[in-house]
Amino acid sequence: MSEPTGLLGEVFADLAARHPASLRGAQEARAIEPARFDATAERYLGWLRKARGDAWLTSSVNAYVQFSTDVIFAQADYEDDGAYAHDSFAKAHAEVYSQRHVMDEYLWGVYLTNFLWVHHMEIMRFFQDRFLAPLPANAHIVEIAPGHGGWGVWATASRPDVDLEGFDISPSSIAIASSIANAAGVSDRVTYTLRNALDLAVMPEASADAVICSFLVEHLEQPDQLFAVIGRILKPGGTAFITGALTAAQVDHIYEFRRESELIVLAEQHGMRVRESLSVSPQRILPKAKFLPRSMAMAVTRCAHGFW
Amino acid sequence: MSATLDKLTTVFHDVFEDDDIVLTRETTAADIAGWDSLRNVMLMRKVGRTFGFPIDTSEVTGLKNVGALVDMIDRKKGA
Repeated sequence: MSEPTGLLGEVFADLAARHPASLRGAQEARAIEPARFDATAERYLGWLRKARGDAWLTSSVNAYVQFSTDVIFAQADYEDDGAYAHDSFAKAHAEVYSQRHVMDEYLWGVYLTNFLWVHHMEIMRFFQDRFLAPLPANAHIVEIAPGHGGWGVWATASRPDVDLEGFDISPSSIAIASSIANAAGVSDRVTYTLRNALDLAVMPEASADAVICSFLVEHLEQPDQLFAVIGRILKPGGTAFITGALTAAQVDHIYEFRRESELIVLAEQHGMRVRESLSVSPQRILPKAKFLPRSMAMAVTRCAHGFW
Repeated sequence: MSATLDKLTTVFHDVFEDDDIVLTRETTAADIAGWDSLRNVMLMRKVGRTFGFPIDTSEVTGLKNVGALVDMIDRKKGA
């Protein structure tokens, strides 16, 4: 396998020079399908450089390493305690979401995990092949909690026929996702609004051809409410891409999913059928771990006739 | 070898399960097989327990080499 070039080459070189302990995971992610990884990374990094300017490399690599380190520390604490650190949205909001600087760096770190974490790169492939490619022409996508914007912007940049409306509770998310959309040249088809995802229950029923909701469910006290919203706004026959974290700690993860079936049942209870799913764990976990951290993605369809 | 580096070497032997590891101030993660992000966190937690103070994650990510870790430990011990 050849060495990475371009912007990705700069990221790998910076990791090797300043954070060698964090390089191996990125190398593992690339090794699975190097050509596709490189293309995905170059696109994401190109937007990142435009959005953040000349200081993009050092600041973004720092954010990635900080976020990844925080996650491993949280997982180690979870192994010791047997439970996530917080169980209320209010605590997560106080520590993360309401802290603008913390939230900004957090989001840039998460942005890079979309491809630098091997299991997230697997989810990214699922997103591209199993959700995005089969979407009908001119689909109207609603993105719930876009965070850094990397999923929805990827969708609109890959499919010039679709448009996207995103809602997030965090001003940092709105600002960063908007900057990524601008950098990708899709801001004419993307709008972001500051709004609680659960308030979307007032949106017109069956108004979306597709929904993207990535890694939100584990941040909620009552994930059931989110699935109710998705099931309501999705048109019959419409598709949602939903991801969640299972037994995977993070400072702001508050709902502990232990089994993949829990997410599937939530979708089914709200009128959706899981067409395909993928659950992936990192290649390396803490030694003697009691919990296997996983990321799960589902492509679900809103049933038109009850059972299907 | 400083007392801190000596004690730190024992921590490394334990975390990496390798008694042949020899540390210098210039040692980095690139020099020790298996020193990945997971081991790095295990190492820092063990360092915190061994030397008797908590280590913040932001302190971990800024460390350049073992010498920087020794200096941080000595600074915290003296604080």
